[in-house]
Amino acid sequence: MENQLPAMPDVIAQVPLNNYVLLASILFIIGIAGVLIRRNAIIMLMSIELMLNAVNLLLVAFSSYRSDPNGQIFVFFIMAVAAAEVAVGLAIIVMIYRNIRSIDISLLDKLRG
Amino acid sequence: MISNLPQDFSPILVQFLLALGFVIFTIIITHVLGPRLKSKQKEDPFECGIESEGDARTPLSVRYFLIAILFVLFDVEIIFMYPWAVNFKSLGWFGFIEMLTFVAFLMAGFYYIVKKGVLDWERD
Amino acid sequence: MYPIISLSVTGLLTLFLGFSENKKIVFPASIAFLLIALATAFIDWNAPGFYFNDMLQVNNTSIVFWAILIISAILIMGFSEGFERFEFAQPAEYFAIVQFSLVGAIMMVSFKNLIMLFLGIEILSVAMYVLTGADKRNIRGNEAALKYFLMGAFATGILLFGMAMFYGATGTFNIGSGVFIGGDNSFFLWIGCTFMLIGMLFKVAAAPFHLWTPDVYEGAPTIFTAYMSTIVKTAGFVALFKVLSTTFSGLQDFWWIMIAVLVTLSLMIGNIGAVSQNSFKRLMAYSSISHAGFMLLALLGDHENALGSIMFYSVVYTLATISAFGVLMVVSKERIEKGRVYEQNDLFKGLAQNNGFLATVLIIAMLSLAGIPLTGGFWGKFFVFRDAASSGLFWVIIMAVLMSAIAIYYYFKPVLLSMSKKTSLESITINPLAKFIFAITTFGTIVLGIFPWILRSLF
Repeated sequence: MENQLPAMPDVIAQVPLNNYVLLASILFIIGIAGVLIRRNAIIMLMSIELMLNAVNLLLVAFSSYRSDPNGQIFVFFIMAVAAAEVAVGLAIIVMIYRNIRSIDISLLDKLRG
Repeated sequence: MISNLPQDFSPILVQFLLALGFVIFTIIITHVLGPRLKSKQKEDPFECGIESEGDARTPLSVRYFLIAILFVLFDVEIIFMYPWAVNFKSLGWFGFIEMLTFVAFLMAGFYYIVKKGVLDWERD
Repeated sequence: MYPIISLSVTGLLTLFLGFSENKKIVFPASIAFLLIALATAFIDWNAPGFYFNDMLQVNNTSIVFWAILIISAILIMGFSEGFERFEFAQPAEYFAIVQFSLVGAIMMVSFKNLIMLFLGIEILSVAMYVLTGADKRNIRGNEAALKYFLMGAFATGILLFGMAMFYGATGTFNIGSGVFIGGDNSFFLWIGCTFMLIGMLFKVAAAPFHLWTPDVYEGAPTIFTAYMSTIVKTAGFVALFKVLSTTFSGLQDFWWIMIAVLVTLSLMIGNIGAVSQNSFKRLMAYSSISHAGFMLLALLGDHENALGSIMFYSVVYTLATISAFGVLMVVSKERIEKGRVYEQNDLFKGLAQNNGFLATVLIIAMLSLAGIPLTGGFWGKFFVFRDAASSGLFWVIIMAVLMSAIAIYYYFKPVLLSMSKKTSLESITINPLAKFIFAITTFGTIVLGIFPWILRSLF
C-alpha cells in the first residue's frame, strides 16, 4: 500500500522538517501561555484553539514528510472534535454570562475549600 | 525556469514592505500636516440629529449565537466527505452506505434541533 | 463493538423520547437501553478480534471492562429518579448524554489506534462538560463547568501534541508494537510519551494535574459527580495502562520514575488535602485524587498482574463511591438551604439514629474507601501494593501505607458524625429503587472483601 503512494514533492522538501516542528512548537507554547496568563474565558478558548491548530500543523507536516495519509486523517478528526468542543465551551460561557453578566473568570470564586 | 526556492519569493517580501511603508507614511504624514481643531460641537455625533443613545456594541440575540454555533458544527462535519469524495470509485457501494449512515446520524441531530425549535426565529 | 452501535442508536432514541407526551417513560426506557447495551457486550465473548480496520481490539478483558462501565452507569442512573427535581430541565437529554458518554468510555478501554483513544477521551469529556453544567441557574455549577471545560480542553491539547510527536517519531498511530529509544527520533519520542501521559493523567485527576478536581466535584450535581468519579476514572486508567503496557513498554525506564513521583504526589496531596475539608463532596474529590495515586501504583509493577489489580480496584472503588454519593444524594435532598441542597459533612449528624440502613451503607462505603479488612477496599489496596512490591520501589510503598493511615482519619469523620446522638434531620424517605442499589453496592463491597478471588481470578 505505502509503495503506491506518490513520493514527496520536491517543493515540500525544500523547507526542512525541523522548521515546521519549531513553528508548531512556538504556536503551541503561545497557546499554553495564553491559557495560563489571560483571564478572559473567550481568549482562553481561543488560545486552546491555537494549541489544537499547532498540533494540526505538526501532524500535517509529519504526514507529508512520511507520505503517510494517517496524520491528515487525524487532523480531520481533531477539527471536527474541536468544533464540537468549542460549541460546548461557548454554550457554557453564554450560560455564565446570563448569570453574572461577565466572562472574566476571576469573578468565579464561589468554589473554595 | 520556475523554481520554488525561498529566495524566489523575495519580490513578495519587497511588495509587502512597500505596502507597509506606505501605510505608516500616510498615517504619520496626516497626523503631522492635518489641522487640529477640537470643540464640544465637533466631538458630537451630529449637530442636529437625535441624541445618541447607548453603546455601539449592542448585545446580539442569543438565538443568533445558537444558529451560528449550529452552523459551525454542521459545516465542519462536511470535511469527512472530502476523503470519501476523492476515493469515491474505489470505495464503491461500501463507502456509499457508510456515508449514508454518517449523514443519517447528522440528519437525526438536525431533526432534533428542528423539533426543539432552535431554528424557530419568531419564537419568544 | 456492538455496545458502541447499540448505545449510539439508543442515545438518539432517548433524545426523541423526550418529545413524547409521557415524560415518565424516559427513565425506564434509558435503563432498558443500558441493559440492552450490556447484553450486546457479551456477543463478542470468547470471540476476540479487531473491528473498524483494526481501530478497535475486542477481547474478554475489554468486555469485562465494558460490563463494569455499563453496570456502574446503570447503578448511578438508578438514583436519578428520572431527573424530575427542580434543577434538572431536560431529563431526556441527560440520559442521552450519559449513553453517548459511555460510547466514549467503551472506546477508551478497547482502542488499538491513538485516533480512537483521542475520540474516546473527547466523547467522554465533552459529555461530562455538559453534565457538569446541567444545573443551569446554579452559579457554582456554571463555574465548575467552565473550569472543567477549560482544564479539560487544555489537557486535550497537550495530549494531542504528544500524539503528534509520537507520530513524528514512529510514523504510525497504532499501539500494537513497542517502541524503543534510539536514533534521531528519540527526542520526539520523549516529548510524545511525556505529553501523552500528562494529558491522560489530567483526565484521571492524578496530582499535580488535579487542580480542577475539588472545584468540579463540588460544583457539579451530585449524581454527575458520582458518574465522573467512577466511569471517567475507570476508563482513564485502562487507557493509561494500555498505552504504557504496549507502546511505551520499551520506554519503561523513562516513565517509571515519573509515575513513582506522581504516585507520591497524588497520595500526599489527596490525603493531606482531604483532612481539612468540610464539604463531603470536596472530601470525596481529594479522596479520588489519592485513589488515583493508589491505582497508579499498580502500573509500577509487573504488567501481567497490573490490569487485574486495576480492574479489582476500580470495581471496589466504584461500588464504595456510588454508595457514598448515593447516601449524600438521598440525605441532602431533605435539607435545602438557600435554594441548594446542603452538602457539608455535618449533614450526616445523627444519621445512625435517624435511619440505620443509610448509616450502615455510608459506614461500609467509608470503611471500604479507607481500606479496612473485610471490605473490598482492603483487597484493592493489597493487590496494588503487592504489584508495586515486585518493582522493588519500597519507599513508595511505605509512603502509600503511611498515607492510608491518614486516610482512616478523614474517612471516619462522616462515620463518627453519623454516630452522634443529636440529629438535625426529619425522617428520611428512600425510594425502593435506591434501596435496591444500596443493597447491591454494599453487598458487593462485603462479598469482595471476604472472597476477593471471585473477581480477581477473572484474568
